[in-house]
Amino acid sequence: MTTDIAIHTEKLTKHYGDVEALVDLDLDVRPGEIFGFLGPNGAGKTTTIRTLMDEIRPTSGSATIVGLDTHRDSVEIRRHVGYIPGDLAMYPNLTGRDTLTYFANLRGGVDWSVVDELTERLESDLSKKVGDLSSGNRQKVGLIQAFMNAPDVLIMDEPSSGLDPLVQREFQQLMKEAATRGASIFLSSHTLSEVQRVADRVGIIRTGHLIAVEGVQELRSKAIRRVDLFFDAPVEATPFESVPGARDVEVRNHHVSMSFDGHMDELLRAATSGYTLVDINTQEADLEEIFLTYYRAEV
Amino acid sequence: MTLTNVFTKSARDRITSTLVGAVVIAGLFLMGMAVYRGIDLSFYADLPKAFRDMFAISDTINVGSLAYGAIYSGYGVLTMAAVALAAGAGAIAGEERGSTMGILLGNPVSRTRVAVSKMLALVFITAIGFLILWVTGVVVPHLLDVSTTGLHITPLLVIMFVNALFYGFLAFALSAWTGKNSLASGVTAAIMIVSFVAAGLLPLVHSLSWLQRFFPWYYYQHGDVLHTGMDWGGLAVLLGGIALFAVAAVIGINRRDLRTAAIGTKLIDRLRSNPLTHTVVERLAGKARVSRIWVKTASDHQSLLYIIVPLVFFMCLMIGPMYGLLDNAIKRLGDQFPEAMLALFGGGDLSTPEGFYRIEMFGLMIPAGVMVATVAIATGAMAGEEKRNTMGLLLANPIRRSSVVLEKASVMVLYAAIIGAGAFFGTAAGSLLGGLGMNMGHIAATSLLAALIGLAFGGLALTIGGATGSSQLTAYGTVGVAVVMFIMNGFLPLNTSTEAWARISPFHYYLESDPLLNGMAWGHAALLAGLAIALTFLGIVLFDRRDLRQSG
Repeated sequence: MTTDIAIHTEKLTKHYGDVEALVDLDLDVRPGEIFGFLGPNGAGKTTTIRTLMDEIRPTSGSATIVGLDTHRDSVEIRRHVGYIPGDLAMYPNLTGRDTLTYFANLRGGVDWSVVDELTERLESDLSKKVGDLSSGNRQKVGLIQAFMNAPDVLIMDEPSSGLDPLVQREFQQLMKEAATRGASIFLSSHTLSEVQRVADRVGIIRTGHLIAVEGVQELRSKAIRRVDLFFDAPVEATPFESVPGARDVEVRNHHVSMSFDGHMDELLRAATSGYTLVDINTQEADLEEIFLTYYRAEV
Repeated sequence: MTLTNVFTKSARDRITSTLVGAVVIAGLFLMGMAVYRGIDLSFYADLPKAFRDMFAISDTINVGSLAYGAIYSGYGVLTMAAVALAAGAGAIAGEERGSTMGILLGNPVSRTRVAVSKMLALVFITAIGFLILWVTGVVVPHLLDVSTTGLHITPLLVIMFVNALFYGFLAFALSAWTGKNSLASGVTAAIMIVSFVAAGLLPLVHSLSWLQRFFPWYYYQHGDVLHTGMDWGGLAVLLGGIALFAVAAVIGINRRDLRTAAIGTKLIDRLRSNPLTHTVVERLAGKARVSRIWVKTASDHQSLLYIIVPLVFFMCLMIGPMYGLLDNAIKRLGDQFPEAMLALFGGGDLSTPEGFYRIEMFGLMIPAGVMVATVAIATGAMAGEEKRNTMGLLLANPIRRSSVVLEKASVMVLYAAIIGAGAFFGTAAGSLLGGLGMNMGHIAATSLLAALIGLAFGGLALTIGGATGSSQLTAYGTVGVAVVMFIMNGFLPLNTSTEAWARISPFHYYLESDPLLNGMAWGHAALLAGLAIALTFLGIVLFDRRDLRQSG
């Protein structure tokens, strides 16, 4: 790769009529980085990816991949990119091998031993027609075509859909290996545990706006914690809900649980005034909780 | 309630094409009647009876009977049958291809009820189409002050309606038995076209006329319903066929596994998996087939060639010896044959073999055959890939959008050339067999022009596909424009005040020079080729500028 930034967007905006699908997206993905792109349904993840792939054209703003303009230099870019779209569709009458041969012919520079290795690792059957395959097995063919020319940049929209847990593990390993050799991976996913496991940084998008971009470790080490409080008698929710930083307070008889990013002494003060605290358990929030927190905070 | 839902949804999904077909025919009826009103019809009465029967011309010829005979009984019945055929073929197989049949049958509704609902929907939407034609057929003569005395308009529309349903239900039954949309529509269309041609041709050959009873179109045509009232025998045969197909459809859908996608195991797949033939077939059907975009496109559409080329070749071959069998009386009077009737099939003159070939094959059948192929390929080129959501993945490879379209357009040219060659060799062989002595160069010129007119409309399909990405709009839009242009070219010259307008139709530049008799009109060929190229490039520019569509 020739540039310091693998994917760069600048004020990237896409409108469909009056609908703002993507607004002023500024984003950088570095070489060798796995970038998780998170957001609820309809947030603009697929619009971003389709714009990067020049399937659709931005209303304003611009984007580059390996320093090349995504529209003007789109053909050259595609020599460097492996892509798997969100709603993967292939030619039902072709076998998996025919499909890969077709794309390998169009792409050029595919080492067939790489295809064989990927086929073995993902336990894919290339002799069957794509139309006869289950969605998970079809997805494996899609993954092989994305990885088969050892691309500098991988752009993947919900790539794990339909894969069983063992194949998901293997796929995560493939991503890590690609990143290790210097490839950049732009991974849009709903499988937060997967993103948490492989991504270096995540971007969170909602209603077309990028809300946050942070390293996974920084995000997880943020003050948001999962807190469980246990009492000797049933308690009310109200005193805990009024503590600054308390979110999603749930009370079940003697047990209170919440997400918390406030001062612990204030929470303890509320827990001990009028109640007898029996036990307390706090743990670092996982990505899913952080994601939901971000999402809810913006509603 | 469930039945109503499947019925209403099926009707809603298919009504647009029926409405478009009916409205186009209704508009043409208005135009045709207006044109006929301005021409002298006195010489029709001298025509031989066989001609009059063939074109449903009564002894008391008038504007009304010509307009109903040409537009309704000629184009209308073909168009509406084709629309019903498409709806019938897609009813069951379309749900399977879209992988929606499984979820539909996940509801507490039997396959029989789904099939019956869809058949009722087919009847309903076809009836709506004919209702439009009936209202137009009654209102237009009043508006234009044309007499309809002695014409049986309602019985004509009833038997046209039943005839359309006959082919719709045949396609439905084939679709229900096989789950294959293209097979159902291809086979039914072939049966319909052969039957239509045979029912028109066989009555002209006295010794073979008994054969016509084996072709279903005979039961629509032979009764002359417009002038003599309902042909109850013909109607009963057609209704019997519909009932038979309906029962076959219900049995068919209940006896087989549902398909989940548009795939099947073909002979080639079996040969590929056989160790003895694996190596050779793998090379041909595997690696070679996916070596380039144009090769894959040609492979994807090869079934079109299997149907169209033999059909065109053998029909052209058959016409030669057939001309020798034509009744002499018909040949002698051929040069007096009314232009207005011949316009129905793209013009021609029965007194010469060239004219006969023009009427039977080059006027309508051959350009239609080329157009089926070019429009299908052009529709699949952009809109088809976008409908299947494969265009994004295809364009993720380092290849320009324009290259994708150009490679696919090259297949369109290849197919048009092959079908044109089929027409040439069929006609040349037919001429030799019949001892007609037709000029080979002129046959080649006409075949080339037929390929070019097909390519011009293929280009139009590329333009619409490039602009919209909608396969429905591309296919129906192109066919709609082609039908209107064809009829305008046939009918506008009949009236001196509208004659000049025929020049806006590309068909004007196809047979206007009568190339079978006069040889190649290079100017016309260049114009058609230029139109095809210009429209293809317009399609590329429009495609290059827009967002890709994403389905579902």
